[in-house]
Amino acid sequence: MRIIKAALLVAAMVSGSVLADIAVVVNPANANAVSADDLSRLFLGRTSNFADGSKATPLNLAEGQPARDEFDNKVLNRSSAQLKAYWSKLVFTGKGTPPKELSDDAAVKAAVAADATAIGYISSSSVDSSVKVVASF
Amino acid sequence: MLKKSLIAATLSTLLAAPAYADLTINGFASIKAGMTLDSDDTLYGYEDSPDFKNESLFAVQVMSDLGEKLSVTAQLMGRGNEDFDVGFEWAFISYQLTDDVRINAGRLRTPFYKYSDFRDVGYAYDWLRVPQGVYGLGFDNIEGVSLYHTTQLGSFDSSLQLVAGAYDGEARISGTDVNAEIENIVGVTWELGKDWYSFRAAYLIGKVSVGAEAVQLQPGVTFGDFFAGLSGAGFGALVNEIDINEEDGAFLGFGFTADKNDWLLVAEYTLVEVDNSFISDQKNFYVSIGHRFDSITPYVSYEKEDNEAKTEIYTPYLATLPPQLLLPVAGIVQSQAREATTYNIGLRYDFHPSAAFKVQYSSEDNELADLRQDVLAFGVDVVF
Repeated sequence: MRIIKAALLVAAMVSGSVLADIAVVVNPANANAVSADDLSRLFLGRTSNFADGSKATPLNLAEGQPARDEFDNKVLNRSSAQLKAYWSKLVFTGKGTPPKELSDDAAVKAAVAADATAIGYISSSSVDSSVKVVASF
Repeated sequence: MLKKSLIAATLSTLLAAPAYADLTINGFASIKAGMTLDSDDTLYGYEDSPDFKNESLFAVQVMSDLGEKLSVTAQLMGRGNEDFDVGFEWAFISYQLTDDVRINAGRLRTPFYKYSDFRDVGYAYDWLRVPQGVYGLGFDNIEGVSLYHTTQLGSFDSSLQLVAGAYDGEARISGTDVNAEIENIVGVTWELGKDWYSFRAAYLIGKVSVGAEAVQLQPGVTFGDFFAGLSGAGFGALVNEIDINEEDGAFLGFGFTADKNDWLLVAEYTLVEVDNSFISDQKNFYVSIGHRFDSITPYVSYEKEDNEAKTEIYTPYLATLPPQLLLPVAGIVQSQAREATTYNIGLRYDFHPSAAFKVQYSSEDNELADLRQDVLAFGVDVVF
C-alpha cells in the first residue's frame, strides 16, 4: 500500500500540472465570459445567471473525483467539509439546493454539450470540441 | 438503499406527491452525551449521570420539486428529549417568484437569530450547541409565510427576509408547561455578506399571550387565583401590568461573523421586550472565537444574560397595596430577573466527510443565585 502511495505521489509530482489542471466548460453556443468570482457565486448558489442574465445550470463532479477536490479548493477556496456544512445550512432551511452531481468528466461533457445553460468543469485532458473552455485553474 | 427507497415511498405517499415528481431526500442526526459535573446541578437538560438522549436527534427531509418553480419540503424530526416522538419541524411549499425572490409558506423557523434556521443541524456549525444564553427564548417555529430576497449590492451579497405568521405552542414557567401564543408576527431580517465577513439584523414584533394563570404561585394558589384576588381588591390595573394577554412583544437582534485566515469569529446581541407583562427586559449576547487547523477547529465562547426585572410595575403601589398582596406581586416580578455568564470551550473534529465529532465544556455562573454549574458533553453530528 505504502509503495503504491509513494508511486502515486511521484506520479503526481512529475506530471502534477497536467493532472491538476481543470478546465471550466460551457456549451459552445454560450458567449458569456466567466470570472473566478462568477464561478464561485454560481457554484455556491448565490446566483443562477450568467453575466448576460441568461439562466445558468452549474454541474458538479461527484465527490471523490480528483477535479472536484481541485475545484473546491482552488476556485471555491473551501474544504469539502466546509462546503458540506455550507450546503447543509441551505438545504435544511429551504434556501437552496447544491448543483447536480455527475459521475465523471464524460458525463459532464455530455451534459454541457447538450444544454446551452450548463456550466461544469473537467480535467483539462478531457477537453474536446463538444465543449468550450472559459477558464482554467 | 432499500431502506432509503422505502422511506421515500412512505414519505411520498404522505406528501401525496405525484409519481413523476423529483424527490430529494436528505437528513441529519446528532448523537450526544453529557452530564453535569456536580451532583446537584442541572443544566441544558443534563443531570449528574451520563445522558445519551437529552440532546440527540434524528431528522429526515424530503423535498419534492413539482416543476414550474414550485416545491414542497417536509422535515420530520424526533428529539431525544421528547422521547424521539417524530413531528413536522418544518413543512412548507416554496415558490420561486423570480430568480431573486422565493416565497415559503407553511411551518417555518422563526428567524430570530443567525443560526435559527439550522440550529438543529449541528453539522452546519462548529459548536456542540448554539449558545443557550441567547438562543434560549423558545417560540422556535411559526406558521406563516416568508419572502426571501437575495441580491448583490455592490460587492455585498444581500439577503432580506420578510416573515409574517403566528406561533401557537407552549412556554415553560416555573416548571409548568403553559399555552403560549404570539399572534400577528411580522418581522424583517437582513444579512449583508462579503467574502469573509457578514452582518445581520433582525426585528420582529407580535402580540404575546402566555397562559400563566395555571401556574402555581404557592401550593394551592395559582397565578389566576391571585390575579382574581387582586382585581377583586380593586387593583385590576395592576393585573393588566403583570399578566401576559395580547401584549406588544418586540425582538431585536444583531449579528456579526468573520472567517479569515482560518480564524472564525461570531457574535450576536439580542434584546427582548414584552410590554405590560411581568416578563423582564432581556439583553443577551455572546462572542465566539475559533481557529481551523485543517480538520480540527477548537473554539472558546462567552455568553452574557442580563434580564432586568420590571420593578416599576409595582413601585407606584408601594403605599397603597396591602403587604399580603404586595409581597407576591414583587415576588412574581423579581422572579424574572436573571444575570448569568457562561464560558464554553470545545472543539470540532471532521473525522469523516459527512460527520463531525464535537466536545464542549460549558460553565454557567448564575450571578443572582450565586450558583456555578458545569456541563461536559460530546457527540457526533452527521448529515446524509
